[in-house]
This record gives sequence, structure tokens and C-alpha cells, in this order.
Amino acid sequence: MPDVLTDPDAAARHPETPRRRGRGNLRRTARKAPAYLVLVLGTAVMVLPFLASLGNSLKSYAQYIKVPPDWLPDPVQWSNYQEVWERTDFVTYLTNSLIVSGAAVVGALITSAMVGHALARMHFPGRDVLLVAALGTMMLPTVITIVPSFILFKSFGWLDTLLPLIAPYWLATPIGIFLMRQTFLGIPRDFEEAASIDGANPWQVFIRVHLPMAKPALATLGVFTFMTTWGAVLEPTIYLTSPENFTLPIGVMSLQGQYVGNDNLVTAAALMSLVPVLLVFLVAQRYFVRGVMSSGVKG
Amino acid sequence: MAQSVVTGRASQSAARPPAGVDNRRSRRRKDRAWGVLFASPYLAHLLLLMLWPLGASLYFAFTTYDLVNPPEWTGFENFTRLLSDNNFWRTLGNTAYFAVLFVPAQTILALLLAVALNQKIKGIALFRTAFFVPVVSSWVVVAYVADSMLNPRSGIANTLLDWVGLPTQDWLQSPALVIPTLAGVAVWKGVGYMMLLFLAGLQAIPEERYEAAKVDGASALQRLRHITMPGVSGTTFLVLVLTLITTLQAFEQVFVMTDGGPNGASELTVLYMYRQGFEYFQMGYASAIAWVLFLLILVLTIVQLRLQRKWVHYA
Repeated sequence: MPDVLTDPDAAARHPETPRRRGRGNLRRTARKAPAYLVLVLGTAVMVLPFLASLGNSLKSYAQYIKVPPDWLPDPVQWSNYQEVWERTDFVTYLTNSLIVSGAAVVGALITSAMVGHALARMHFPGRDVLLVAALGTMMLPTVITIVPSFILFKSFGWLDTLLPLIAPYWLATPIGIFLMRQTFLGIPRDFEEAASIDGANPWQVFIRVHLPMAKPALATLGVFTFMTTWGAVLEPTIYLTSPENFTLPIGVMSLQGQYVGNDNLVTAAALMSLVPVLLVFLVAQRYFVRGVMSSGVKG
Repeated sequence: MAQSVVTGRASQSAARPPAGVDNRRSRRRKDRAWGVLFASPYLAHLLLLMLWPLGASLYFAFTTYDLVNPPEWTGFENFTRLLSDNNFWRTLGNTAYFAVLFVPAQTILALLLAVALNQKIKGIALFRTAFFVPVVSSWVVVAYVADSMLNPRSGIANTLLDWVGLPTQDWLQSPALVIPTLAGVAVWKGVGYMMLLFLAGLQAIPEERYEAAKVDGASALQRLRHITMPGVSGTTFLVLVLTLITTLQAFEQVFVMTDGGPNGASELTVLYMYRQGFEYFQMGYASAIAWVLFLLILVLTIVQLRLQRKWVHYA
């Protein structure tokens, strides 16, 4: 574990380590055959259901409910996707989800970096208590906090708004704090000392010196936060009541009730809701992998 | 004691540029102010999202509270009601059944995949991506994707069973099969994440140990048993603690995929709590359920920490 903690990219580099070529090659490949078999089989199990539902989303409803099922859509009904986009509230849900995830990411980055910086570099009473408390919050089950949080946000008059989904991320997340603290501890002090001799105050040191050096960790935290908020079901279900405020997961769920007998369309909507998060994952995959491997904590 | 350590370090760093005592003291005070300012988001977090909810939910657990009228103190009534609430015990049984199937299955499969992925495999990024698509999918997406496989009439699973001449199943609509099926889907969604954790653990095992074992003539199986397994026992422990905590609180999957059905066969404890609180507006009773579950999770985590000494090897 420590190797990966200090050098998370070791995982990515691992397979590229140069290998001796020659006579042993064939035998070595044969020895790895079971590993390939397991992985190829596993990949098939992972991917096949997505292909099957992609096929379903392109069928007409008549073909969708056909028993026994057809493997491939015929004719391929691309218009299903257009219909979801134009004739349902999909775009509204998408907009809401983008607002929630975008605002949550920005908030989590700013505040977690601030607190992580304070815990790594600053001296103030109660600092060590705060660090332990952050660990405690990570262990605290969400079931305990659901009811009081609902009552708190209700008293703010925030029910049926996107604010309860965003605000917690503007108060620094425990995982973000740990990640950022760890990162800042690894930055040599010389940089900030040079800056503070030049007369920069702690805020300027933070913004100009520390933040730019923590870009990879910030990217990791951003990807994590985006994914957690994008897929959330419980909080939107509790806080949102009007369809125009729904985020994608509960919006797509509500389509099922609104358009009975159009499960092919709802399948298309569900797959469309996957696209943004999948894009973020593919683009920022190395940061995500780094985050999983170094923090070991989900969400 | 922690305090003196902190201030000790503070004076040290403040002393670095030579300055007078007064100057140093005012600088230390300024330092503290900046520290509190930077930490303020998390101070607010602790107060609003941790300490207050903890206190409030503990208080609500001893009251009846419908959100409209102020909470009314009822002592241990919620807890005595809980003891004789057969539905609660049934959901706890369902949750335990789900956990017993899901946790070992996911852990073993994740370790197996990580071992395979650690063999200096070509195309590691491709495999990793494939295993991660379900991880980044929301439960709503998973519900529809799973339906294409598990729909009793038009799903691929039954088509395949029929093909090889086995009896078809009702999967999520069968009271007997619903929890095993949900556990299977949960493994499908989560295994890629755990695989990555194990991969991190595996890559921390020094290569020399394997080389030395090979020189000594240890078989692949022996190397797995005596090097790999002890080497990842720390990761395994972490994975087990984390999955158990989240599994006992599983909510979204059943909420989206079965809504507790058929006939309550897949109603898990947190779904039951959600219903009591947000459908019947019995916030007091819901809080009592949450606390009982919390204490249960706490006890199981402590038990795991105790057992850890028996089987986890730290290098």
C-alpha cells in the first residue's frame, strides 16, 4: 500500500516495465492464460448488459416487449433518443444535475483545500481535534443524519430547491480534507517561505503557491465529487418534490411513471444520463484511479 | 499535550526570521486567526452536519415527532415498540442475508480479478475501464441495464436458461430469489472499485519475496497462500470494514430496483426507516431505527477490529 500512496502512478506504469524478449516469451504468455481468461470473461459480464440495454433502447416498444426477445433492434429506432430529448423533461433534469454537480465540485474544491491547508500548515487551537473529528465524520453512517438534516434544511426554507444537495459540499468534505492535507504536507516549505518573505499574506500564499501545486489532487477530488453527486438518489428523493427541480436519477425514474408503456424510451433516457459521468470518468480516469488507490474510501 | 506540541512548533517557525518578542507574539496571534479562518468551513460542517444531527436524532429517538407538531418526549417507547415490531426484525434479517451473500462474494471476486490484473497484463487500462463502467453508473442506470438481463419475460438471463434447457426464473420478482439477485447485481456494480483497492495492496508486495519463493521452489499456489494472501490481508481488512458499513446501510439499490418487493421480501432496514420517516412522518420512530442500526454497525466494526489481530499481517 505505501508504495502506491507515495507514487500512485506506479499502478499505471506497472504493465509497461520492460520485459526480456526471447525464448521464454511464449511460455510466459501461456502461464498468463488463466489471468486473461478471468479478465476477458469478467469484461464480457460487465459490458454485455450495457450492450443489451443499448439494443433495447433502440427498439420499438412492440419489439421491446417481444417474447422471446430479439437480440438486435430491427429496425434501429434512433428516434427514441430524439424523442426523449424533445418530448420529455430530460433537458430540465440534465440542467439541474449539471448545476448540482458543478456547484458541488467547485465548493468541495475550494473549502476542502482551505481546510486541508489549515490542517497541514497552520497552527491554531483545536487543530488536532479537528483532524480526529474529520475521521469520525467519515465513519458516521448517513442514516443517523438524514432526519435532522432534513429538518435543518426545512427550517432554512430550502425544501424543493437544489440547495440542500449543494450546501454540504461547500462545508468541506472529510475525504477532501484528508486528500488535500496529505498533498499540502508533501509540498516543500521553501516555496511559501519565499513568498511570505516577499510580503504575501497566508491567503495569497495559499492561492498563488499551494493551489497551483496541488492540481492533480484537486482533479481527483473534483472527479470524485462529480460522480457522487451525479448518481445520488436518496437526497434528491427526500428534498425535491416538483418535477422541474428533479435531478437526472430521480427524473429518469419519474419518466417510468409518466409514460407507461414506453420502457424503451426510459431505457434510452437512463443511458443518456450515463453519458456525462462516463465522459468525465474517461477524461479524468487516471485521477480517479489515483484517488481510489490512495484514499481507499468511496464517495 | 497536543496543544503544547502545536504551539511549540508555531514559535519555532515564527522564530525563523529574526524578530523581537512582541513582534513574534502578535505574529503568532495572527497565525491563529488565519488558521481558524481557513478551517471555518469544516467547523461549520462539524456543527451543522455532525454534532447537531447526532444530538437531534438521539433526542428525536425518544420522542414522537411528525414534523408538524413539536416533538413530544415519550421515553423508551420507540425502542420497546421496535423490539416487538416484527417488520423491523424482518428487514434486519433481509439486510443480514443480503450482507452475508454480498460481502464475501464481492471481496473474493475483487481479489481474484486484482490478482489476474497484477500479472503484468497487456491492455490493463482497457480491462480496468470495463470494470469501472458499472461503478460510475447510478443505481437508476443499473436498474435499467439489469432489467435487460433479468426481466422474467424479455431478459437475456432467462433466454439463456431456456436455451440450455434449464427452468427460467422470476429473479427480482421472486420472493426467494430477490435478495440473491440483488446481491449479484451489487457485486456486478461494485467489484471494479474493490478490485482497484486490492490492486493497490498487491502492488505494494515486494517483488523479491516472489523471486525468493521461486528460487526455493514454491508452487504458484503456495506463493498465493504464503505471500499474496498475507500481503493483502491489510487491504482485505479495510475492504471488509468499508463494505460492511455501507452494506448494512444499503438503500438506493432496493429503493430503485424493487422498492422492497415482492411483498416486502427485499425490504432492507434503511428503506424501512425511510418509509417510517418520510412516508408516514414518524421521525421519532425513524430516528430510533437509525440509532439501533448505528449501534449494530459500531459493534460489528469493533468486532472486526478485534478479530483483525488474528489474521491481518502488517509487514
